[in-house]
Amino acid sequence: MNAEPRLEARVRLSLDRFDLHVEFETTHRVTGVFGVSGSGKTTLLETIAGLRRGAQGLIRLGETVWLDSAQRRRLPPEARDVGYVPQDSLLFPHKDVLGNLRAGRQRALDGGHDFTHTWEAVVRVLAIEPLLGRAVGTLSGGERQRVALGRALCSGPRLLLLDEPLASLDVGLRRKVLPFLHRVRAEFAIPMLLVSHNPVEVQALCDDLIVLREGKIIARGEPRAVLTRPEVFPIAEHEGFENMLPGRLLETHATTSLVRLGENDNGPPLVVPRSSLAPGSRLLLSVPANEIMLALEQPAGLSARNIVPARVEDVKAVGPWRLLTARVADDAPPLVAEVTADAIEELRIAPGTALFLIVKASAITLYEDHPDGER
Amino acid sequence: MTETTLDALRSTLLWASLATALVMVPGTLLAYALARFDFFGKKVISTLTSLPLVLPPTAVGYLLLRLFSTQGPLGRETLGFNLDVLLTWKAVVVACAVMSAPLVVRTARVSFEAVDPRFEDMARTLGHGPAATFFRYTLPLAARGLLAAMILGFSRAMGEFGATIIIAGNIPGRTQTLASAIFSAQQAGQEDEANFLLWVALAAGFAAIFLTEYLSQSRIRRAPR
Repeated sequence: MNAEPRLEARVRLSLDRFDLHVEFETTHRVTGVFGVSGSGKTTLLETIAGLRRGAQGLIRLGETVWLDSAQRRRLPPEARDVGYVPQDSLLFPHKDVLGNLRAGRQRALDGGHDFTHTWEAVVRVLAIEPLLGRAVGTLSGGERQRVALGRALCSGPRLLLLDEPLASLDVGLRRKVLPFLHRVRAEFAIPMLLVSHNPVEVQALCDDLIVLREGKIIARGEPRAVLTRPEVFPIAEHEGFENMLPGRLLETHATTSLVRLGENDNGPPLVVPRSSLAPGSRLLLSVPANEIMLALEQPAGLSARNIVPARVEDVKAVGPWRLLTARVADDAPPLVAEVTADAIEELRIAPGTALFLIVKASAITLYEDHPDGER
Repeated sequence: MTETTLDALRSTLLWASLATALVMVPGTLLAYALARFDFFGKKVISTLTSLPLVLPPTAVGYLLLRLFSTQGPLGRETLGFNLDVLLTWKAVVVACAVMSAPLVVRTARVSFEAVDPRFEDMARTLGHGPAATFFRYTLPLAARGLLAAMILGFSRAMGEFGATIIIAGNIPGRTQTLASAIFSAQQAGQEDEANFLLWVALAAGFAAIFLTEYLSQSRIRRAPR
């Protein structure tokens, strides 16, 4: 997607332990900023929002200059038209959900936005209707993040800044809120900068990924390719690498469902845990790279439900492990499997090798896009 | 109760209210500046504001007397006209305002410090300028603490004696307050008057402190993490 206004940031800012020094341009819908905590991700976001004094350099969105320290030009945060969603939501405790959602209404109106139209879209996409009259203190973590996201969207932003929107949630809630972010991405034509240290999130949402370490960009590119690079992979180690795959639900049985992989319904079918969605629904699923087994010949008498023929594209060394990228269909995203160096050697696996990927249904996580909220 | 005693009570309520009104606006702004910004002379200003808390009230009264006397910085000869403060109700209000300022500023400062500044950042990114952010976000978020500051300041003003007696005197029907009326009644041996006023003072004081205890109960002023 190259229709977004160009965001250009060349900033320098002294921090306690290191200097933030970042230069990038992007025209993607969602650009991810990935790195361990303390790598300068949040600071970068706050600098772009105008909340960090002392930042030097140039920040520009389209034709609008937000910061140009050479020209002594610095727009205050209220003039930058950003929608900021911090990690801890920061919902205003003296307002209810409705009041929070309307907090940026004046700016939206001043900017010539159709507030009612945006409002209706936000309430629908984020399933906020049942929350409107609630006090902020009574919301669950996932509800808080949805309201914070809605508040930002309602303020008529030209750029959304999302700071680890799912990090404060437990794993179960993350699975339920991630689809909402996915819907925002699909339904609002607003470019986003998404800070995250979660490989699932960045793969599910980002078109482009910037990896920060100690305030510097150490890698940049398409998320799957970047995350499997030897210098980046260890950053995600405690989470491991997860394959994020789009698919469409074909049918549902007593304990499992069948999903067709690929954006265009031409990937192989996969048996997954039982989904509560109606057949035909689109969903996202994740497969941990270290849960995939390899076999050169089609195995028989196996308990694993999925034996998928694939062709190896690439094998990368990452520490003691090998990351093998294999394609299962022409226009479905490839899968990454994490195996030992010995396995690659013994099976004589190299780019071009035809093999079978073996995935247990129970190793697969579904990210279901529920239209009626977190159920 | 005699008419002058009731009159002193009514006047005290009025004067304490005026003194609180006089202190609240500049006191709140100063408290916000002290809570949020670093500036040259901050510690000196903070110390000066709190000084009436530790000085003998009569010393403050004497200082004010010098200030408003004919040759003083706010006297007739310096200004060229007469503010006519000394020994009038205005002197009571000035004395009460000065003596309650430290309580107001200190309490208000704590309540501003308890508001997470990131809420203000958030409001700015939603399009609100610094002034709108202060009035629509900071003030409401600090409201309970500010109300407590007001109640404490008012109560302090209600009970002011030392500074008042120096610059306003104790003229029944003109500058006599609750505090000076108790003093007069006790000196004159009018036990009934003194007892009545004691109960009034007790009730007012108890209600004020009880309310501030209630207000300072921890409420969510920060974002839960």
